[in-house]
Amino acid sequence: MSNPSTGTSSKAKVGSSQPAEASFKRKRGVFQKDLQHMMYGFGDDANPLPETVTLVEDIVVEYVTDLAHKAQDIGSKRGKLSVEDFLYLIRKDTPKLNRCTELLSMQEELKQARKAFEVDEEKLATLE
Amino acid sequence: MKQSKDPFEAALEEQEESPPDCPVGEDELNSQTPNEAQNQTDGGQNILVDDDDDDDYDGLGPTMKNPSHPSSSSTPKLHSASVNARVAAAVTNKNKEYDDDEEEENVDVELSKFPSSADPTKMAKMQAILSQFTEDQMSRYESFRRSALQKSNMRRLLVSITGSQKISLPMTIVVCGIAKMFVGELVEKARMVMTERKESGPIRPCHIREAYRRLKLEGKVPKRSVQRLFR
Repeated sequence: MSNPSTGTSSKAKVGSSQPAEASFKRKRGVFQKDLQHMMYGFGDDANPLPETVTLVEDIVVEYVTDLAHKAQDIGSKRGKLSVEDFLYLIRKDTPKLNRCTELLSMQEELKQARKAFEVDEEKLATLE
Repeated sequence: MKQSKDPFEAALEEQEESPPDCPVGEDELNSQTPNEAQNQTDGGQNILVDDDDDDDYDGLGPTMKNPSHPSSSSTPKLHSASVNARVAAAVTNKNKEYDDDEEEENVDVELSKFPSSADPTKMAKMQAILSQFTEDQMSRYESFRRSALQKSNMRRLLVSITGSQKISLPMTIVVCGIAKMFVGELVEKARMVMTERKESGPIRPCHIREAYRRLKLEGKVPKRSVQRLFR
């Protein structure tokens, strides 16, 4: 079994010693705070163990990386990367697909709502 | 929960004034209620819009759609409606006890009109279950709803992976959603592993690793065509 603490410290040092390469170096603990709340919400303890959170973050980053690479492969045939590629990748996973379509439709709604809101504000301003 | 109690507490206090008791059906959605509700909505809109750019998609959209809509009594329903739709999709994946929706107090209840299927029945069900929540369950559910991965961080990660600067907002949102559900799968499987091993307490890395291994066997994790050589 690997030793999570030494792994963490070495990665942290590497991350901090290369600020110029920030775009390529993956800093540790990017999602730590959010992940703690998320894991509690999904069933973990109120205070999840730090090594657990770090491990989950690593797994998630690897998952997103693999997903993005595959999406890029698919998208390259079409020209550029688009949301459709991601949706195609998770087509087999029904809950995820449903959730994503819901998120997208909600985002559309929000956009419409914001537009309507601004129009209302303008109207009020012109009235007064 | 250790940190950031404050936003939750603040949201709790903010919404606590309106008890989500009225077990009326869709009538509440259309009817207009007293000014107090109105003020709440108006006040709530601005706050919610500003705060929740990140939470919007996990919680609900802003109430900007119908500013005249009352927030106090109808928001629980609306909230539950949206919650229903979301939970319905997510629940199949997450077999935990979050089948209920009670978060009226905390989450940015917005969305005056949520176009989900089977609205009234689902809302009523959600209301019923949510009202029975213990405090512990409520806090966990609240974390479940409110937590999200930061879009900015995700965008940075995607840019570094793809090398292209053109990462659209919908793409970031979708990937955040997928990642959150993946975390859910991991944590749930890890809990299953723990019950099999008859262990208790916080989840340990060995459980996560076993859960990850099982997910890989199930094919839920994209396989790399090329082995990862340099970490």
